[in-house]
Amino acid sequence: MIGGVCLSIVGAQHAAPLQSPTPATALTPRDSAFHALNRLAYGPRPGEVPRVAAEGVMRWIDRQLSVDGIDDHGLAERERQFQVLEYDRGDLAAMYTAAQRERRERKLAAAPDTMADKDAASPIAQRGRRLAGEFADLAVVRAALSERQLYEIMVDFWTNHFNVYFAKGADRFLTPDYIEHTIRPRAMGKFADLLIATAKSPAMLFYLDNWESVAPGTSPPFPRSARRRGGQGVRPMPKGINENYARELLELHTLGVDGGYTQQDVIDVARIFTGWSIERPQQGGDFEFHEWAHDRGDKQVLGVRFEGGHNMDEGIRLLKLLASDPATMHHVSRKLCQRFVSDDPPDGCVDDAVAAWKRSSGDMRDVLRAIFHGPDFWAAENVRAKVKTPLEFVVSAARAVDAQPDTSPRLAQVVARLGEPLYLHVAPDGYPERETAWVNSGALLDRMNAAVALAAGKLQGVTVALDSIVSAGGAEELIGVVNEKILGGTMSENTKQVLRRELAGISDPMQARALAVGLAIGGPEFQRQ
Amino acid sequence: MSISRRVFVKSGGLALFSLGLDPLFLARAAFASYRPLPSSTTLSRPILVCLFQRGAVDGLNMIVPHGDPIYYRERPRIAVPEKDVLDLDGYFGLHPRLAALQPLWDSKSLAVIHAVGSPDATRSHFDAQDYLESGTPGVKATPDGWLNRYCQHDREHQDTPFRAVAFGPQLPRILAGTAPSLAIDDLQAFGLRAPQPVARDRLTRAFEELYAGSATGLLSTSSREAFEAVQMLQRLDPGQYRPANQADYPRGKLGKALLEIAQLIKADVGLQVAFADVTGWDTHVNQGATEGQLAGRLDDLGKALAAFTRDVGERMRDVVVLTMSEFGRTVRENGNSGTDHGHATAMLVLGGPVNGGKVLGKWPGLDPAQRFEGRDVAVTTDFRDLFAELLARHLGARDLSAIFPGFTPDPARFPGAISV
Repeated sequence: MIGGVCLSIVGAQHAAPLQSPTPATALTPRDSAFHALNRLAYGPRPGEVPRVAAEGVMRWIDRQLSVDGIDDHGLAERERQFQVLEYDRGDLAAMYTAAQRERRERKLAAAPDTMADKDAASPIAQRGRRLAGEFADLAVVRAALSERQLYEIMVDFWTNHFNVYFAKGADRFLTPDYIEHTIRPRAMGKFADLLIATAKSPAMLFYLDNWESVAPGTSPPFPRSARRRGGQGVRPMPKGINENYARELLELHTLGVDGGYTQQDVIDVARIFTGWSIERPQQGGDFEFHEWAHDRGDKQVLGVRFEGGHNMDEGIRLLKLLASDPATMHHVSRKLCQRFVSDDPPDGCVDDAVAAWKRSSGDMRDVLRAIFHGPDFWAAENVRAKVKTPLEFVVSAARAVDAQPDTSPRLAQVVARLGEPLYLHVAPDGYPERETAWVNSGALLDRMNAAVALAAGKLQGVTVALDSIVSAGGAEELIGVVNEKILGGTMSENTKQVLRRELAGISDPMQARALAVGLAIGGPEFQRQ
Repeated sequence: MSISRRVFVKSGGLALFSLGLDPLFLARAAFASYRPLPSSTTLSRPILVCLFQRGAVDGLNMIVPHGDPIYYRERPRIAVPEKDVLDLDGYFGLHPRLAALQPLWDSKSLAVIHAVGSPDATRSHFDAQDYLESGTPGVKATPDGWLNRYCQHDREHQDTPFRAVAFGPQLPRILAGTAPSLAIDDLQAFGLRAPQPVARDRLTRAFEELYAGSATGLLSTSSREAFEAVQMLQRLDPGQYRPANQADYPRGKLGKALLEIAQLIKADVGLQVAFADVTGWDTHVNQGATEGQLAGRLDDLGKALAAFTRDVGERMRDVVVLTMSEFGRTVRENGNSGTDHGHATAMLVLGGPVNGGKVLGKWPGLDPAQRFEGRDVAVTTDFRDLFAELLARHLGARDLSAIFPGFTPDPARFPGAISV
């Protein structure tokens, strides 16, 4: 229990800078602003570093933490262009099943030797595909344009933490609803609320199969509707409990793999969640508790007894218990510190976050505040210590040159090409928080290509107007401006030399500017945050 | 030190593999000799090529149990007629549109493992593909794929960026993980893109210097690998590649992927593990028998594999190609002249080191009492036993339990796909 004692002492020490108006750092105001904009935001837009420095970085951080106070009408305007937001999951389900039916009928009608029906996708299938692409793009657009930058980063964090896989059956039409109505409204609230919402979300119930988990020997009172659930008519009726959700709930969503639970705990958690299901999943139905499928026996999880016969309340009670378990606090806080501080976060900042979690009963704003006020967030060894993820790279590059993304899926496709397609991580662990997962030779070359295309105005999906950022001037002037406005003053001597030499041979000032910006964004300094 | 030198030094320490050359490949080698052999052909480096038949191939129409009347009884509309089956061993036979593979069978370079699959009962494509790629059936949270775990645990070959390559736009789950691996969509487009070669070379040099001068940590090593790979490919000049021995790859994704794999194998860039997807196997409707949807896909597969072996020529002595699929399909045809999601399927293994000319694995039979849940071919070979055998006996992997956590591979259960 020595660890526990240490934890509270260290927590108290680290909590001290909470009231200080300036960050606990040796960084200059501009460097602190640059650092904060790289971590709490998807990188600075032109002019943002001096603006945040002038406001005071801690004040800016506090504003980012109170989401509702930030006016975001510009983004709201852009969101109206996204048709996918006009459809609810029932509409999307109807569209999906109609497209499937059509495809099937077409195959039946086709001569036996024609194998491809992809060449001529029906209008309804095309619309479905377009909406799916639009939805991935929406994430990029929000990240790029929202004034609520920290909020968008937390949406990404939780989307990953509570991962679902878009391409698994019904999740094709359940995922948009999941992001819009489960994740986004709770991304900066209490962890327990988000946990319960994900547990009840059709997208998660389908993804981790809990909707099919029933107490052994039970069967639905209305077998007709149950038969229809199976889709292609051959799916056997579920015969017993399915442990998938239970296991991932403990291992990934809450306690962590070393969280001290046993296989028997997993089984009893699965028994507690029997009956948590979906009303007509193929039609995009809502959460539904099936009393008939629920295991009525007593259960025991982590030594806590759950008396049988309490139906859904058992699950709610369990989720609340898990949300406030010390192992959960530590597991989730550590992941947050990985995201915001370092791939291998020091114990101190994790302890600070856990202490804030305890004080606030898991209010994410308080947990985040503790991280941003702690010394580790500002420590020299953690500044620029992280490599941007594919999404962070694409969005920060777009922001650096004030690019305006359109509603086409092009930018999201760049994110995919760099290795992390949105909503398409197969396994429930989500994309990892460590750089080894996304830094590799092929992806780096793709970053360079994307950077060069962006700077030349040739990256599809965005409009760039370099004029407003970098005036075309002599090489030295150009290098200075690019260093200051795009690299936040981090340009190395070597980079300056290479740029000088490359620019020397170019007479066309527009070409020179595009090259300088492309090399800067594709170069090593810009990959870090 | 240049990468090819490092590969050479590394590989020099390797035991030479499969010196017992297959007669077929020797014959081909004679064919190939019109072309000067690169100096490094003295290297012998085992290579595994994995093709994933995504969508669940109907193992029963690919490798047909024509000796079993139940097969014909259960599939009145889609069974391959006895007279059309290319008999292999009196009981099993090739689908006629796999005729291109017959010579490989005859030369004992092709083996079939039938009734192979996952111990997990799921009939969901998503779950079953996930389990096949993670190599941990029933466990969803495994972060990496088994091919990547192999690369993590056998570090002897890691010094080349081309060690593990997936041919496609994205890295598949099977190669996801901490060991470096490349996704290549198009060999010709790999590297920096610019309208003219001069501009491209200049851009490449500029970025190379930027990273050499200022990158740190993983960015530094990965970028170095990237530029080494670019240089190697530039020397290779993939746009000018002509397959050897009149190999004629079918048009389409699989043909292109196998052609690029052949190219990398022959270029000695250190390729050890290659992967490509082959889609179009989910034949719920109008599957067809000797003609039709499935026949078309098999035709493409057979011709692409035959072209690949012809093109790779004598180097096939180091190469094993494995086809795999997430599960098989129902024994009985459905109401739409197709088949639904089943359990066990068949996988093909071909190449010089293969113990070929055999249908391996224990055949469970097609009688309803012998089927899995009364409807599907039962799994008698856990796919991990097959994968483990290829990793151990072909690639020389030692720590199999680290590659397949929660599973103890046992050589006694290996299906015997590799000659020992």
